[in-house]
Amino acid sequence: MVVLRVGLCPGLSEEMIQLLRANGIRTVVDFVSSDLEDVAQKCSLSYKALVAVRRVLLAQFSAFPTNGADLYEELKSSTAILPTGSPSLDQLLDSGLYTGEMTELMGAPGSGKTQVCLGIAASVSLGLKQHVLFLDSTGGFTASRLYQMLRAQAQAEEEQAALQRIQVVRVFNIYEMLSALQDLRDRLSQQVVSSTGPLKMVVIDSVSAVIYPLLGGKQSEGLAIMMQLARELKTLAREFSLAVVVTNQVTRDSSTGALKPALGRSWSFVPSTRVLLESKEATWEKATTQRVASLVKSPRQPTGIQVELDIG
Amino acid sequence: MQREVGSLPLAPALRTRLVAAGFQTAQDLLETGPCGLSKEIGISKEEALEVLQVVRQECHGDAARTAGASDATRKCTALELLEEEQAQGFIITFCSALDNVLGGGVQLTKITEICGAPGVGKTQLCMQLAVDVQIPECFGGVAGEAVFIDTEGSFMVDRVADIATACVQHCQLIAEAHQEEDHLKALETFSLESILSHIYYFRCRDYIELLAQVYLLPDFLSEHSKVRLVVVDGIAFPFRHDFEDLSLRTRLLNGLAQQLIIIANDHKAAVVLTNQMTTRIGQSQSTLVPALGESWGHAATVRLIFHWDNSQRLATLYKSPSQKESTVPYHVTSHGFRDVQPPAVTQNAEDTEMNPRKRPRREEEK
Repeated sequence: MVVLRVGLCPGLSEEMIQLLRANGIRTVVDFVSSDLEDVAQKCSLSYKALVAVRRVLLAQFSAFPTNGADLYEELKSSTAILPTGSPSLDQLLDSGLYTGEMTELMGAPGSGKTQVCLGIAASVSLGLKQHVLFLDSTGGFTASRLYQMLRAQAQAEEEQAALQRIQVVRVFNIYEMLSALQDLRDRLSQQVVSSTGPLKMVVIDSVSAVIYPLLGGKQSEGLAIMMQLARELKTLAREFSLAVVVTNQVTRDSSTGALKPALGRSWSFVPSTRVLLESKEATWEKATTQRVASLVKSPRQPTGIQVELDIG
Repeated sequence: MQREVGSLPLAPALRTRLVAAGFQTAQDLLETGPCGLSKEIGISKEEALEVLQVVRQECHGDAARTAGASDATRKCTALELLEEEQAQGFIITFCSALDNVLGGGVQLTKITEICGAPGVGKTQLCMQLAVDVQIPECFGGVAGEAVFIDTEGSFMVDRVADIATACVQHCQLIAEAHQEEDHLKALETFSLESILSHIYYFRCRDYIELLAQVYLLPDFLSEHSKVRLVVVDGIAFPFRHDFEDLSLRTRLLNGLAQQLIIIANDHKAAVVLTNQMTTRIGQSQSTLVPALGESWGHAATVRLIFHWDNSQRLATLYKSPSQKESTVPYHVTSHGFRDVQPPAVTQNAEDTEMNPRKRPRREEEK
């Protein structure tokens, strides 16, 4: 729904726009879908000029079909699989995190989502030497724990370099998060290599903390913003071949009393893979570092697979 | 610069009108100008000017970030964060077992939540922390001030005076043992009057007052920049009764949590909240769980659950980003929050009953 403006294409001049607007054609869609002979008569404009403008507008604004073979070749060359650093989790995710897709980790408080995210960031930064962007919206990012994890895996002197490859941005409301993602997209599209380096992964912990203050009550703007965020993340993942990992909360279903993922049904269509993290013991009285990860949604594996993780 | 109109912080009605009129990116808005904008959408010129101001602010914020100014934003590498964290202090609780479990004490820039049944010692710990945050740096403290937001009315000044006197005596003993210059200098300013005068007390009677207080807190903190601890004693109390719309409650609580995280982060303060316990009735048994629902569990970064085991008070670290889960015993004595003494000392039996405001626990109520 783009408004017709002077700069859009070479043939479009100010008087043309005024004449079109006088006859009710304001946006590109109106222009392209109207009968040009009719318009030429009513606005007394040249038919050839209108056809030329329409061609340019279509080239600029419509989508192009590609055939499946080309798509497959492109995917094969651009998709990478990033190992998560934990062999059982890799097995659950069909050998790792796929770039170009969004993976979601969900779980109750204390189930280990931040720990798994830190582990993944450590593994990608240390093992693959790729840059990672970590968007922290809960204040749970503890650099000393990350350092501990790196020390356990790395040889000496590599931890400093690995820590420098992980960039942390603290965003505490949804607009800050959206502008951080926009900022990232600008930098990647201009290919500023200086501080970002070859970015392969974006981790967002957590996405529900910034959206929850807008959902509920009697207002519906929360859903709109949530879908904006979803679209931004998926476009980033697809266009720049990034792996996007988000964490989500769980809430209690009021009718059945079972735990279900937060943010509702609309969000459940957004990530392509969903993993539920649970503690092995049911209550908080027995402390343990064992967790169980189960696959709830996946485009490649059968759901219901469970593996055990140790986040200690 | 291609910020989508849908992602700008404008009023929702205005946003829908802009999108319906065909504006897609912030660039479109800026090119149109206020007169064109007011004509297209049908709003007044002043409103159009305001909209354009918001858009310009957002876009200039983006530009400043791309140019490399990282002071206003919270962006840094993990290495810088590590250095910051290692230089940060902790607020000790005077119970060394609990401090070990927490990794040194209550961490600054994080939200710690203390849940427990009535009478187990949550307010005692809060008062102890309000005193401990003021310990001078040469004794291992952070030398900060405290903000105490009370919703239940359980803050007793004479009890804080007792705790403060015990703390000052403790520091005096250390100074006498070590005989260092800066210890003695610090002790001159560390006295009962100075401790009490640096605890800023707010009383909130319902949830609206509490929300207002928390949203006004950043201004207060920018005037009193030495505050390193914000305690909200009883965050569950105003939200638990008389709330018909539960989704509104979740929304308000989450907004509150985000605001507290922003305060903790920007002012390098520790935020401590106390929560109540509620019973969850399962298939065959009922368990005590923290109140305010599942979504509130994600608000706090560190969660401590205080509970009883016969007549011994125990603290369990349930959720933490860097420490393992574990349980330690503790005591509340006339001097404040302390470790459990080894069983040879006879102090044990009397000290558990030292809290006269709460009725003593009886055996059958488990």
